Amino acid sequence: MRNKLRDGVSILGVGCSQFGDLLETPEIKGLSLQELTNQAVQEALADAGVDPLEIDAVFIGNAMVHSSQLPGTYSQLAKWLGMQFKSGVHFEAQCSTTNVGAAMAAMAIASGVYGKVLVIGFEATRTRAKELSPYEREPISTDQAWAWTDLAVNQAYSVPQGYEIFSTYNGLVALGYCRKYGISIEDYDRGMMEICRSRRLHGSMTPKAILQETLEDEAARLGFNDLKEFWESRYNPFVAWPSRVRNVVSVADGASAMVLGRSDEARSYSVSPVELLGFGIVYGDLPWYGSDPTVWPIDRMAWQRAYQMSGISPRDLDYIHTHDCSNICGICNLEIAGYIPEGKSLYYAMDGRMGYDADRPVSTHGGRHAFGHAWAASAGSDTYEAVLQMRGEAGKRQIKPWPETAAIHTHGYAMISTVLILRRC
Amino acid sequence: MAESIIKRYYDTLGEGKLLATNCLDCEGYTFPPTTACEYCGSTDLEFIHLSGKGKLLFLSHGVAPPPNARFVDIAPYAYGHILLEEGVYVQGIVTGVKPEPEVLQEIYDRGPALVEPDIIELQGLKILAFKMV
Repeated sequence: MRNKLRDGVSILGVGCSQFGDLLETPEIKGLSLQELTNQAVQEALADAGVDPLEIDAVFIGNAMVHSSQLPGTYSQLAKWLGMQFKSGVHFEAQCSTTNVGAAMAAMAIASGVYGKVLVIGFEATRTRAKELSPYEREPISTDQAWAWTDLAVNQAYSVPQGYEIFSTYNGLVALGYCRKYGISIEDYDRGMMEICRSRRLHGSMTPKAILQETLEDEAARLGFNDLKEFWESRYNPFVAWPSRVRNVVSVADGASAMVLGRSDEARSYSVSPVELLGFGIVYGDLPWYGSDPTVWPIDRMAWQRAYQMSGISPRDLDYIHTHDCSNICGICNLEIAGYIPEGKSLYYAMDGRMGYDADRPVSTHGGRHAFGHAWAASAGSDTYEAVLQMRGEAGKRQIKPWPETAAIHTHGYAMISTVLILRRC
Repeated sequence: MAESIIKRYYDTLGEGKLLATNCLDCEGYTFPPTTACEYCGSTDLEFIHLSGKGKLLFLSHGVAPPPNARFVDIAPYAYGHILLEEGVYVQGIVTGVKPEPEVLQEIYDRGPALVEPDIIELQGLKILAFKMV
């Protein structure tokens, strides 16, 4: 494997819809998925300063066709997005979709086939098409959403024999982490509360996040003066002991998009292009880990390949997002990436060192819990945040000084580990 | 008529046996069995049976109602990460354990525990579960 992009590729523009509920969230209530997706696409095109006619190819992703009922998205959305008669394809890598799409676009551009590629991800995890109506939607129950999502997991053996995400992707990894580093369950729980508090603070500063209420405000609203008491209350049950419901994903409807092009032309389109320096993509089936649940082979390999392609080292990173559908897997990847020393992430969280204004900022949009998780759109929302931060456009949650180099890691069920390395040009 | 490896696995489970493959090229075990060696990709395989005995390394639990309707009558259930004595990692339901924090904490504090298969049947399908011995 040569593991190099022949020519430089940059992100020219990014877009992201409000993450929320198409039946409830005021900013997107009543929209169709076509219109929701178009919001992200139009923002990305305007951000890049690229005319729709300049786009050579469209890579569009949607993972859960059961709720969208839009297979063949390339043609079903073509007229809605102003993207008729393009090259392109519908693809999915579950929750890594948009960033795998960015890597696919980078390879297509660096090879010289396409000049500009539009990458799109959209998803509805809270609502689905209502019966045969072309525009009405109805809620999806949580267990139904997970049942559809789990179709991406080993259907021959794992799912039929009792697999579910909460234990495998959360509780068992947490216990492995505690045992490996000699951390008590009480300290684990306290560290996890602090991680949640940081993400919720970031969400409160992010207008497009699904949860914009701080953890403290939520506790007060529910009648608690003491945050720890609230954390340990019936409002925050274990989903997979020792991990609680506020350390996992908040499902959302949402869409994201980005425009990629050649780096040597980027300056003429964007005042602040961001170069896609490298990527690493590695997938594997269950079991995702062996004797050490904290270090998954697919993650280690994906990070190694991304660092090798980009020519940077962990100490170059100024900002990071790691997939925090489960917070424990997120911190394991902070440590695999070398962003935080092994076994120290919970202590960093307790010391407030992962905030937007601290020395090791993480997931400044609020991550999967506060920003929300719209499977195929989420990786793009993470890249959106990184690009905003690198350009100094992140508003109240802006990292100072603006990060020059960033990494985004995502897990696409079940499981494709994806790392993008970005650098401000 | 050809027989699916998947069907053969579940049928074999019904006989109380764990079907796997042994790779004739690299000698790696693939469990449950598929059409290729998970280590080297070889298709030069032979079927073997694993003992199912091993060590429970970690034990957590899932949620109720479960995502998979097959498990609605037993959810929430304890679910463990297990190393079989043949060196294969597997995850599965652990029977006979209440999925409550105090119980799971005690098991965690004791450390790895010996387990053996406890094959159960849910909605007409044999399922590989484990029990502590």
